[in-house]
Amino acid sequence: MTDAYIGTATGTRATTDEIKSDAPQRALGLHRELDRTWANDPGWRGQISAVNHTTLGLRFMGTALVFFAIGGILAMLIRTQLATPEGAFLDTEIYNQIFTMHGSIMMFLFAIPMLEGLAIYMLPKILGTRDLAFPRLTALGYWCYLFGGLILLFALLGGVAPREGWFMYTPLSGATYSPGINADVWLLGVTFVEISALAAAVEITVTILRQRAPGMKLTEMPLFAWYMLGTSVMMLVGFPPLILASVLLEIERAFGWPFFEVARGGDPLLWQHLFWLFGHPEVYIIFLPAAGALSTIIPVMCRTTILGYGAIVAAIVALVFLSFGLWVHHMFTVGIPHMALAFFSAASVLVAVPTAVQVFAWIGTMWKGRPDMHLPMYHIMGFFLTFVMGGLTGVMLAIVPFNWQAHDTHFVVAHLHYVLIGGFVFPMMAAAAYWMPQITGRARIKGLGEAAFWTILIGFHGTFFLMHLTGLLGMPRRIDVYPDNPEWIWLNLTSSIFGFVMTIGFALFALDLVLQAWLGPRSPRDPWRAPGLDWAMRLPPPSYNFASLPGPGRLDGGAQAAQGLARGEGLLPGAPRGRREVLVTGVGSARPELIAILPGNTALPLGLACAIGAFVLMMLSGLYWLTLPALALVAALIWVWARGMAQGHDAAPVEVAPGLSLPVHIHRHDTLGRTGTVCLLLADGTLFAALLFGVGFLSVVAPGWPPPELTGDPKLGAGLIAGLVGGLGLGAIAVRLGLRAQGNGGAVLPAAAVAFIANLAALACLIWLAVAVLDDPTRHARDALRGVLAGYAGLHALIAAGMAGYALDQARRGEIAGTRAGCMPAWRLWQDFAAVTALIAGAILIAQGSGA
Amino acid sequence: MSFLARSLAGPMIWAVTFSVVYALHGAGCALGWDGVSAGPVSLHRAALVGSWILGLIAGLALLLRLPASGGLHAGLPRAGAWTGLVATLFTLFPVLVTSSCDTARALAVNFFIPV
Repeated sequence: MTDAYIGTATGTRATTDEIKSDAPQRALGLHRELDRTWANDPGWRGQISAVNHTTLGLRFMGTALVFFAIGGILAMLIRTQLATPEGAFLDTEIYNQIFTMHGSIMMFLFAIPMLEGLAIYMLPKILGTRDLAFPRLTALGYWCYLFGGLILLFALLGGVAPREGWFMYTPLSGATYSPGINADVWLLGVTFVEISALAAAVEITVTILRQRAPGMKLTEMPLFAWYMLGTSVMMLVGFPPLILASVLLEIERAFGWPFFEVARGGDPLLWQHLFWLFGHPEVYIIFLPAAGALSTIIPVMCRTTILGYGAIVAAIVALVFLSFGLWVHHMFTVGIPHMALAFFSAASVLVAVPTAVQVFAWIGTMWKGRPDMHLPMYHIMGFFLTFVMGGLTGVMLAIVPFNWQAHDTHFVVAHLHYVLIGGFVFPMMAAAAYWMPQITGRARIKGLGEAAFWTILIGFHGTFFLMHLTGLLGMPRRIDVYPDNPEWIWLNLTSSIFGFVMTIGFALFALDLVLQAWLGPRSPRDPWRAPGLDWAMRLPPPSYNFASLPGPGRLDGGAQAAQGLARGEGLLPGAPRGRREVLVTGVGSARPELIAILPGNTALPLGLACAIGAFVLMMLSGLYWLTLPALALVAALIWVWARGMAQGHDAAPVEVAPGLSLPVHIHRHDTLGRTGTVCLLLADGTLFAALLFGVGFLSVVAPGWPPPELTGDPKLGAGLIAGLVGGLGLGAIAVRLGLRAQGNGGAVLPAAAVAFIANLAALACLIWLAVAVLDDPTRHARDALRGVLAGYAGLHALIAAGMAGYALDQARRGEIAGTRAGCMPAWRLWQDFAAVTALIAGAILIAQGSGA
Repeated sequence: MSFLARSLAGPMIWAVTFSVVYALHGAGCALGWDGVSAGPVSLHRAALVGSWILGLIAGLALLLRLPASGGLHAGLPRAGAWTGLVATLFTLFPVLVTSSCDTARALAVNFFIPV
């Protein structure tokens, strides 16, 4: 493999301290050169082909704010209905759709995309790089988010929106009790949106691990990056259970495979487990980025440094893990044995400790420094007041006897709004006030923001504090009238009045943002005198962020670093080769390792999102056979996507700094793409683990077992499973031989051809198994699970065959040769994963057969 | 072990122990281990307590292996190990004190609803 450090000062591997600065150049010349390379296409084409993180981050945040406004209007409709005990404003059907859509929009179309947008916009700037690791994936994520959101919105306008509550409990959301497409809209639309969440999680993780400025060690990186790393890993692990649950329920609704239907061996509690395996970590997925913003803003506002950096990082790690051990506290009333209740109650109490560590660190930072009461500090004070109260009612709800009393009442509604608005919305408003000069280059118009803050604060507590009492008086969630409960009337009416006050506050907040962007005076370069790299650039930021990249000695950022970087005194100055080049560094050490060339503007992400959208719409319409052409189009576009980055000739090393040249990514195995594949497989592995949990749960807990006897020939089944696993295993061996041949300068074509044929043979065995051995999946949950296990293995074998075919094509074209490994490092990971999961799935299928 | 792996090892021990104990709890209740004797306690209790103790030993062994000083580079793995150990101790201690397979409904039927 090519040495990472060619011609260093010492002649061997360099430490980051040995990297020299480039000579200063003319800043304007560098700017023009970089802008030609990094800017969006002009005109309308630029709207559909942009892949730049600054543009897409703003689009994510802007679209999320629009959805927030829509969700807020729905909330006002709810409050209007509940203002009087026999409100005739909405009928029950529409009311059900509105409260379901309010929760779904706020969770899936506002909170998650908003945090993604903030991370997409901010992270490259904070880490000192020019873009995220996979710019086309950023764009694909945005289009999937937009289209999925529009499907949900159009369903609402058409009166066919989901109406089963934002957590879509079965059996209410099953085909029996929810005929029509309302529930399908949620399952398919939200899953479509989740593609964007997984895409964002992969690239945020890879960018933080591999694209930090040289010298920015993990132990020294800004806390915002630590928080986002925790968030993105949680998204990789947290979202797959929900995706699996949605897929299973959609299969049950569309094709009658019974996973949640008791009569045929399913269990509605499986849905609750899978949903809350996502749903509770989701609370922390939303909170952590907000906490990252707080940890960035509070020290700046208090003219000091953060107190307890190490303790906060340890608290993040603890939160990331513990938050996955709490999900059952949403299910305390379903009849779970006492011991299990105690496990989850204890974990729910314990999670308050790392949260408290952070709160005390922030309070200590304020105590240590000298707080300036600028607008961001107002929102931070609002956060403290609101979130601490929400956290304390969370500890109350973690205690089982109290939970039994308050479950499904408005007390829980009040608690979750205190946590989500306190823990996410107030910090996001602080972040908006803090970073708006960075985003727009303009200072705000004084007065309006403060008025918005006080109106929101008073309106919020007036609405939701009283709701605790309404809940303690026994008012259940999701009811639209309460004619027999006069004791709830004045509380509801007061909540509704303050709800409108809060809405006026949010309208003022939005007006403040618009006026600042439109009419605000020019902002100085670093108005808060903040030290971060996010301020070490022109305002508003140029398309490339940094004319030269920060390195050792320039990581403190702020306005002081900006001029030197703009003059090209940092690393990798300008864009002399007309390519979008970024520096890739080591995971822990942040030593520069290679140069990655990122793709330019393209409409391919839009095309791919349209193809996925066509699949979703065909599913919604019940035209299941037409989903096959849509899937074929998806596969074809993914092939074109991969071809877009293929390169058939060697690339010369790039001089990053005087005496330091680095190889281009095509000559290395440890590329961003390989790290991204590891992240993707983490998510995939979690989905598989959730599926195994489903198999175990139904086998052990569900009523309606034991299932009917298997009718397929067990010996034939075992033979075909051996063929499946053997084919995938042979493929894995062939990849290794191919990589060895590539390393030795030999031919890769034979190994790729063998792997291709082996994967196809594995697939053929699986199809034979499905046709000749597996029983009708609509018969019983056990048979349905066997079908899903086989389908999972089949999909992975199919993709492995596709990757082998792609490698074959690359070898034929000469793109895998010499030091160029092409797609093989990523393919190897996939092939291994497919073989191991097929082995586990096959063992379960055989064990079920022998058990019967 | 890399820095990240060392930092995550403690919480990972908790996650594995928690998953194993929860899975054994469900499986044991379904398979009737509560009624099978294993010395002074039931087979179910023995399996749960045994798994818990193994998790605690693993967490303690990790803590003892880690260096005591060295800034955040050593501090984060130690904090992670403490997190894992305390979380294993606190979240799974119910294996010692609560009934293993009784549900609230069972209690209600036994104690509050006259037969």
